Amino acid sequence: MRLNILIGGKAGQGINKVSTIVSKTLINQGYFTFNYRDYPSIIRGGHNFNVLSVSDKPISSHESKVDIIIAIDELTKQIHEIQLKKDGVIIDYKPFLNEGRNLNIALSGALASILGIPEKALLAEIKNNPKTNNAQSLQAAKVGYKSQSDKYNLKKLNNNLSIMSGSQAVAIGAINSKIDLYIAYPMTPATGVLHELAAKQIENKMMVFQPEGEIAAVNMGLGASFSGARTMVGTSGGGFDLMAEGLSLQGISEIPLTVYLASRVGPGTGLPTYNMQGDLDIALRSGHGEFPRVVASPGDPLESIEITNELMFLAEKFKTLSIILTDKHVAESEFSTSQKPKKPLKINITRSLPHKTIVKSSSYDQDDYGLTTEDAMYATINAEARLEKYEEIKKACNSLEMTKLHGKTNSKNLIIGWGSTKGAILDAIGGEDFKFLQVLYLKPMSKIIKQEMQKAKNIILVESNLTGQLGRLIREKTGISIKKRILKYDGRPFTSDELNKQLKKYV
Amino acid sequence: MSNKNKLRKVASRKPRFPGLKYKTKDKPGVSLRTIQNSSWCPGCPDHMILESSRRAILSLIEQGHKKENFAMSAGVGCHGKIFDYLNISGIYGLHGRTIPTAIGIKLGNPNLNVLAFAGDGDTYSEGMAHFIHACRFNPDITLIVHDNRSFSLTTGQATPTSQLGFKTKAEPLGEFNQPINPIHLALSAGASFVARCNARDIVHTQKIIEQAIKHEGFSFVEILQDCIVFNLDINNEDDKMYKLLDKKRTMKQALKYSQEFNYNNEKNKIPLGIFYQKHRNSLNEEWPILNKLAKSKKTWGDLKK
Repeated sequence: MRLNILIGGKAGQGINKVSTIVSKTLINQGYFTFNYRDYPSIIRGGHNFNVLSVSDKPISSHESKVDIIIAIDELTKQIHEIQLKKDGVIIDYKPFLNEGRNLNIALSGALASILGIPEKALLAEIKNNPKTNNAQSLQAAKVGYKSQSDKYNLKKLNNNLSIMSGSQAVAIGAINSKIDLYIAYPMTPATGVLHELAAKQIENKMMVFQPEGEIAAVNMGLGASFSGARTMVGTSGGGFDLMAEGLSLQGISEIPLTVYLASRVGPGTGLPTYNMQGDLDIALRSGHGEFPRVVASPGDPLESIEITNELMFLAEKFKTLSIILTDKHVAESEFSTSQKPKKPLKINITRSLPHKTIVKSSSYDQDDYGLTTEDAMYATINAEARLEKYEEIKKACNSLEMTKLHGKTNSKNLIIGWGSTKGAILDAIGGEDFKFLQVLYLKPMSKIIKQEMQKAKNIILVESNLTGQLGRLIREKTGISIKKRILKYDGRPFTSDELNKQLKKYV
Repeated sequence: MSNKNKLRKVASRKPRFPGLKYKTKDKPGVSLRTIQNSSWCPGCPDHMILESSRRAILSLIEQGHKKENFAMSAGVGCHGKIFDYLNISGIYGLHGRTIPTAIGIKLGNPNLNVLAFAGDGDTYSEGMAHFIHACRFNPDITLIVHDNRSFSLTTGQATPTSQLGFKTKAEPLGEFNQPINPIHLALSAGASFVARCNARDIVHTQKIIEQAIKHEGFSFVEILQDCIVFNLDINNEDDKMYKLLDKKRTMKQALKYSQEFNYNNEKNKIPLGIFYQKHRNSLNEEWPILNKLAKSKKTWGDLKK
């Protein structure tokens, strides 16, 4: 069983509230949900929509065809009617205009009713939120509920689920790692983590600081880490470009630093509120000079929690740069899950700290006393030490889950992807004859990738970018060029039904 | 050292990874001075700024501060070499970024006395945004600007405090942009401690730096220094300089004094000393958790999480 519900309207009309109320009610009823948010860079007006996908089995994507349209304005009907399935339903805003500001709550009521969710469960959820726990909102929900009758008959299931976005998950991962400082300048779609951690900073004995820009953020991050704080900085592509020189300073000074990089569509300002896996190249290579780093990319919130912890651990252990690479689709979509993350790795700071002894870290090459040297011998040994360090990092990463295999493990049809495409790929292959190799660690890279490619008959690359950046990286590391590529670069994530059709063309 | 010996030394040396453990030691007989020989030009007033800073820190250590609790950051330029000569902890950072680096060091451990050494190109050109925001954020750090009014480590181009008409290899027609007035700017941006010194006056500079470090909040010390190689026209202006009286001033009075000298090579007097000092809640005082760490003399690592 799977349903897709599109909720559309103008920015400011409360689309997210509808999907939040209904999805929370649904997971309490034991249904798996996935919520995709599509919005332009407009604060009030324009056209926003969410697609809430519902299933009795785990899902992590939405589909292109929808069963129900909740239209909070006329435009939603005009734009999305074409996506509606033959037996689909449109729930119109017009009958609820009397509800005023609670129009969205009334529509939530109507949606709950048509899905067959008990009214009690819906009202409980509305009471749960202090903002909607008032007589008018509850009344609106009841009016909405009465206007429809049960069509989809979603009976209560016995699943224990929770909902989380990628941003919330990165914040949890950082808190699990006992983060002391998060330093970031606002930039969509990385801002979610800034907001999450800022809201939780007091209770978690940490601090969130918003400096004058990303250049300040990265240099402050290095300063704070130097004097003993567990530190993370966060940004999106444009801000990450500004941080590049600071990353290079990390490379030579060996001050541990974790960077959260949430991609959006470039180049330039691009499509600032849409999705693209376009920043793998800069995550791997940004910063002048040659120095080690770790780059890993989670495909859902659970992995976001785990990878944030692993990368903060590796940064401290190896005094290195680690980059958590994600994108708008993982950061801002809401996933349901029944699983719990792995136990976090404990991060110990064992290096010398300034209040205990004299420590000198430098952007210049250093001699045994931590002082500047331009000696060729020191240049050689310091460069080789950086190389040696990367070898140690590689060894340590081997004990982590650098790749994951999904689907039919004996299939000869191998799909390779990373990050946010995971959800659509998993839902697209379902039980069909495909094996999906998800690459979590992009630097260093697992040897398993080459082994799996050698075993496969048919290799298909799936990425949300123009040039197949993972494909190029794999060719660089393995010498194998992947010819069959499904690339999407319109800023919109893959939908599982369309991806399924595209995959079948290649088999 | 012969090449053979060097090779032996290198072979026996453990790689830096996992790193950040260096031997540090003072030059025999000179506290807080590293063993590295100076590579500043002979006669450069940077030597005097080093000596003033060294004496200021020594004096504070005598007053009970711990040597290990001093930390510095430096940008890149002639001034930055002070990192290699002053034997305290710190980060030799990037050009223009000494201020955010220093703020970071302070956030990472609110109990440290943090000094940010910077040049005029560093602060007023590449890092101007950081300077203005530091005045606004009021972190408890001390910014010491070595203002020799030229980019000297890159062979003498004009900086934002170079005088009109300054001819350089990059500005062969002469600088035609009005210099900025950092004192006036800092006051306008809300700095809680603003002072100017003459690098050659070691005793006065030491005293001001000491007061700047003791000031709770952002303290800005602009040090005028000659560049004896590239910007000769601004050298030897000591006879124009005079010391402001040691007293509290209102913002209005401070702004008036700040405008006496406009950084052009004119006949005006150049006031030195503390223009303005007024306590305003620093970052440490504003943030509950930093306040807690500073009051209890604890570090982030001491917190049970």
